[in-house]
Amino acid sequence: MTRYRWLADYVGLGLALAVLIGFFGLATNHFMSAGTFRNIANQIPEMMVVAAGMTFVLIIGGIDLSVGSVLAASGAVLGICLAQFHWPLPLAFLACLATGFVCGVANGVVSVAWRLPSFIVTLGMLEIARGAAYLLTHSQTQYIGRPVERLAEAHVFGLSLPFFAAVAVVLAGQAALSHTLFGRHALAVGANAEAARLSGIRVPAITIAVFALSGVLAAAAGAIQCARLGAADPNAGSGFELQAIAAAVIGGTSLMGGRGSIVKSFFGVLIIAVLGAGLFTLGAQESTKRIVTGGVIVAAVIFDYYRHRLEARA
Amino acid sequence: MRMLFVMAASAALVLCGCGPSAPPSQTAKPRIALIMKSLANEFFLTMEKGARTHQAAHADQYELLANGIKDELDVGRQTQLVEQMIAQRVDAIVIAPADSKALVTACKKALDAGIVVVNIDNKFDDGVLADKGIQIPFVGPDNRKGARMVGEYVAKRLQAGDPVAIVEGVPTAFNAIQRKLGFEDALTAAGMKIVASQSAGWEMETANRAVSAMIMEHPELKAILCANDSMALGAVAALKAANKADSVLVAGFDNISAVHDLVKQGKVVATADQHADQLAVFGIEYALEMLVRKGAPADRETPVDLITAETIQP
Repeated sequence: MTRYRWLADYVGLGLALAVLIGFFGLATNHFMSAGTFRNIANQIPEMMVVAAGMTFVLIIGGIDLSVGSVLAASGAVLGICLAQFHWPLPLAFLACLATGFVCGVANGVVSVAWRLPSFIVTLGMLEIARGAAYLLTHSQTQYIGRPVERLAEAHVFGLSLPFFAAVAVVLAGQAALSHTLFGRHALAVGANAEAARLSGIRVPAITIAVFALSGVLAAAAGAIQCARLGAADPNAGSGFELQAIAAAVIGGTSLMGGRGSIVKSFFGVLIIAVLGAGLFTLGAQESTKRIVTGGVIVAAVIFDYYRHRLEARA
Repeated sequence: MRMLFVMAASAALVLCGCGPSAPPSQTAKPRIALIMKSLANEFFLTMEKGARTHQAAHADQYELLANGIKDELDVGRQTQLVEQMIAQRVDAIVIAPADSKALVTACKKALDAGIVVVNIDNKFDDGVLADKGIQIPFVGPDNRKGARMVGEYVAKRLQAGDPVAIVEGVPTAFNAIQRKLGFEDALTAAGMKIVASQSAGWEMETANRAVSAMIMEHPELKAILCANDSMALGAVAALKAANKADSVLVAGFDNISAVHDLVKQGKVVATADQHADQLAVFGIEYALEMLVRKGAPADRETPVDLITAETIQP
């Protein structure tokens, strides 16, 4: 029985997804079409990679509130390198990732060096990176067009390159979590940092690595969003951190650390994305959208609570 | 105490490199406070730059104290700003209120202190003004008229009965409501069928997802009218991804630099220019007039121009 317990999680998440899709399929004329699912697939890569990074951060018992701002700042760097400096795409992409890496390392180092809660450190970075995005772009949306759009154009079955890249990130992330020393150490740090330290795990190194990863993935998301929209928006990604956290928590990641799964967070992303697309298709008013989205997040977490109680009893 | 205030104010002016370093108390020039919404927003940044340029050219006529708030909706912070300006005994306050009702009380205090108050950008609620028994002149463009011009231009390129959609701004914002009404005025008058209308909160990425869903649910759509240009950029990207860039017209509002190329290429068929760089200047000029004239205040409408591929400056 225990052998199949992990399957129950996926069945639960899959079921929730199926119910949502079924509902929107019945409530609208054209939701149930290949086009809708292609749209969703091409729109979620940003959220997929950011949620993967966030899951790692939550697993070590931290939180990264800066991902939305880092996404915007890195996207701004990409936009400026391409549109103003006319750099070749690979070089501009590297500069973009480097921006995220620096932000992430800064988050990790400051948290570790002064033993500060990552909540407050990344809240600071949220402001700093957003300010940097405004400064770099002079608060103006940077239109990039062709040079970056080709990144998102490579279609296989109508799916974009970023989608496949994001799937690869999710799979690699899950493999790293389940099958590497790094993953096991991350879980140990989140479960009990003191015990992990005493058993010889280098907690600071793991912490900095995880925040750096989250920063780089947020930057990758910034590049993906620029490619999809053909422009860098200094206001991009506001509120993104909360969506990423919600996706991870819907997927069963514990906010207390020590428990989480990248693939399940991906299911959380799917649920949020399907809900968003469905509500837009329905033409729901802003008020309805917010109430429903909030309700679904809370319902998913309550569902998760009961599932764990059942497991504990079994 | 007062001297301290003045010193602090001049120090702040010098620090942000935005004004003459001579202490204001030594001059007889009127001091005008410009209180804006978020300086992170390109629109207000342009407005502020215009005001500073104007002040530099008319440095002998008045002094300028420009301030903005971090978050566009931060009513509390903006109220504080108004109170600080009253404490500094400026001669006039030119304000773009974050909320058309909540800021009236603070402005009444300013009027009671003998300060001239001019309202720009977001019009104060007439009911609340009447309730407080005060008159504050509004100097600014008619957003509804601007949107109507854009709507009429789009309608001319369609046939009666064609299905169209509106992408709205933040549903609580006065100018978002006015722009939506203006679009509706023009579209209904021309016999268009508005099949979808929903908010994308002024944001490019949100608009991209909203429009992707709209064209899936309403594949027959002929035009999408967006309440600002950022959302128009998101709509253009969504249509491109759906291979509908040539069959659906997109229109925007604000004439930001990022859409100039798209307007030239016809991918954004029309947008409206409210002369953002002049909006604060119109308010300041009106305040200067009122300081001399001391007459009963009346509203003043400022120009809105329709921008299309034919009219855009090269």
